[in-house]
Amino acid sequence: MRALLLRRLATAVPTLAAVVLLSFLLMRLAPGGPFDGELAMDPATRAALVHAYGLDLPLPAQMLRYVGGLARGDFGPSLVYRDFTVTDLIASGLPVSLTLGGLALTLAVMLGISAGLIAATRAGGRTDRILMFAMTLLTAVPTFVTGPALVLLFALALGWAPVSGWAGGDPAHLALPVIALALPVAGAIGKLTRAGLAATLRQDHIRSAHARGLSPSRVLLVHALRPALVPVASYLGPAAAGMLTGAVVIETVFALPGLGRHFVQGALNRDYPLVLGVVILYAALILLFNLLADLLYGWLDPRMRG
Amino acid sequence: MTIYAVEGLCVSAGGQPLVSDIGFTIGRGECVALVGASGSGKSLTCLAPFGLLPLPVAGSARLRGRELIGMSPPSLRHARGHDAGFIFQQPLTALTPHLKVGRQLAEAWRQAGKGRPRRTDLVALLDRVGLDHVDERLDQYPHRLSGGQRQRVAIAAAIAHDPALLVADEPTSALDATLRAAMLDLLGRLREGGLALLLVSHDLPSVARQADRIVVLEAGRVIESGAASTVLRTPRNAYTRALIEAAPHLSEPPPLLPPVGPPLLTAEGVCVSFPRPGRRRGRVQAVADATLAVHAGEGLAIVGGSGSGKSTLARAIARLGPIDAGQVAWAGRTLPARGRMGRGDRHLMQPVFQDPLASLDPMWRVRDIVAEPLRHLRPGLSPIARAEAVAAALGDVEMDSALADRYPATLSGGQAQRVAIARAIVTQPKLLLLDEATSGLDVLVASRIVSLIARLQHERGLAILFVTHDLALARRLCARIAVMAAGRIVETGAMESVIARPAHPVTRALVVASQ
Repeated sequence: MRALLLRRLATAVPTLAAVVLLSFLLMRLAPGGPFDGELAMDPATRAALVHAYGLDLPLPAQMLRYVGGLARGDFGPSLVYRDFTVTDLIASGLPVSLTLGGLALTLAVMLGISAGLIAATRAGGRTDRILMFAMTLLTAVPTFVTGPALVLLFALALGWAPVSGWAGGDPAHLALPVIALALPVAGAIGKLTRAGLAATLRQDHIRSAHARGLSPSRVLLVHALRPALVPVASYLGPAAAGMLTGAVVIETVFALPGLGRHFVQGALNRDYPLVLGVVILYAALILLFNLLADLLYGWLDPRMRG
Repeated sequence: MTIYAVEGLCVSAGGQPLVSDIGFTIGRGECVALVGASGSGKSLTCLAPFGLLPLPVAGSARLRGRELIGMSPPSLRHARGHDAGFIFQQPLTALTPHLKVGRQLAEAWRQAGKGRPRRTDLVALLDRVGLDHVDERLDQYPHRLSGGQRQRVAIAAAIAHDPALLVADEPTSALDATLRAAMLDLLGRLREGGLALLLVSHDLPSVARQADRIVVLEAGRVIESGAASTVLRTPRNAYTRALIEAAPHLSEPPPLLPPVGPPLLTAEGVCVSFPRPGRRRGRVQAVADATLAVHAGEGLAIVGGSGSGKSTLARAIARLGPIDAGQVAWAGRTLPARGRMGRGDRHLMQPVFQDPLASLDPMWRVRDIVAEPLRHLRPGLSPIARAEAVAAALGDVEMDSALADRYPATLSGGQAQRVAIARAIVTQPKLLLLDEATSGLDVLVASRIVSLIARLQHERGLAILFVTHDLALARRLCARIAVMAAGRIVETGAMESVIARPAHPVTRALVVASQ
């Protein structure tokens, strides 16, 4: 187990380096620059700005400067939000995104696994078909539809929850965005759980467990569920990273001050350091969650510990 | 005292009776064997009354005087958890993979309301089934154990709650000959404590030693029953006789084997190793310094227990598996490494594997499965010539041409293995590699497959490399034998003289287990 952990960490470093290098170069290759606004800028001001941010240096030198900053935990200054460093922007957005994503992930896992369990025990029956149709629907409908739909129903028509805003993490404000973000992931988890259980329940060891006179719920929860969740674990790695870092649409729909907004705005403004900072954070989180998924495999099925 | 009494038992599916009017009784400490070929309904008979199959059951099955037929599912569960234990054919998959051995045993123990077991209780339980390093085993996951060890743990879990009846559904069919004998001995010892045993098998002679009475089933009906020795010695029914004779026996006269030509395939100093499972460093030497030769038209048997390296060696010399060191030559010409085997070499030797259904693509029709090697190894062949070759190969394995459009899932085990053989011979190979090709089949089917291969051997002068744990079966096709143990060839020679005078202890054990 520790060997796996060390091996994964050792490969994570070059992966992250490659992400930094590639996204740095790709940003520079894209047409336009941070100071190409709609209003013409005085050439002298422009030159001064370019010089101040070191954008007149040759590319390798810019890169060195950036990497040097990274090593000290400094993501550089934002080129557009002039009074903030990228570190400030991430520090303000990350807690919002983590709260939103973490809650949505928990909800999605609970909903999805429960739905998968219920459907699998009634395989082929009406409950199974209705649940699976609902799960497919949830995965198919994009969040920019479910988000506003939830707002229309629960905020505007019923008045149970506020329409939008963060309000310092007030639970009432969080409810709708968390649900909207969780639903499609819950649908996918439900379908994967159902499929995994259907395969596991056909295996010999399940028959042996039944033959030992164990109760059906014990067979399901103790003997079948864990191996059935292996596909869920592989889906959860990238899904979790995505939910925690960039619920871009949801953050926009509900006007939440999370990271996703910075990502979109940064790209549109060609705010190189901001986009790079968010990309690197995103990559690091994906690596982290894939590592957690690997550890989860080992727990779900000891044969995978190698 | 009668423990289990079955009377007029019928199981049906969709209105069709699968087994009907079955009756037998088992007393305390007795063993009754239900014997029949695949599809004769013996598993249905032993599992359906306990609610382990979702099929309607009629008649009567009384366990310790309580009627099982018509019992509610919770009561049936109670009966399974308290009064009966079950073991199944596949030891490798019978245990839950993510729960440690000790935890699974404790669960079975507590099931019967005996409270939480102490560790010493579990140790005693594993001792009873003859497992070694018992204390260590409790904390291991099932995948760390070998097939024989897992079957012992499965038996321990089945008797943890001290049942009155143990139902064993083909408990030894997946084990090699030596393990099979040991497992039957173990089941016999368990009876000394008064346990009643219902033994299900397709192998009549091997269970006859253990059973008090034998019930023979054919097509869902009892066609013969009586004391084991009587049924074995003086079977009244032709089907029973076929079952007895199908199991090959070392006392039979040796078969007439085809003449042998010049050396075809020679292997010298072959070594194969694999990374040690679960460790980062170190390798397991699966085959060490193996040297052997197969002549044209000759059958060579590679015999050994599970894990002796026999399959690894056969695959290495047929260039289907990795090879670390050594040389394999075809008629004096050294064969290239596995990845660089050309079409010209590949079609010379073709394999047939153990599990026919697993080796056939479920999404392909029989016709396409058999045509595939031709498409790759004889690309010049016209579609018409290819179709003719496929039809001829299917005819050679005595397959009905109507089956050519079927999918593997709709074939029986024997039919599927015939398709696999047709696929192997369609390229006109000179050597057939049979990797446990009959081990998953029941005795009757296995016997027919061996006869079929013997015919091909005579007609085509086909050389055969037969990997098996069954000495008596190997003898039907092979004039020479190489015995393997722990990755090494420990004995080679002419089949008859090795059987008559086994030199190595492993060979002696194999010969004894096959008698």
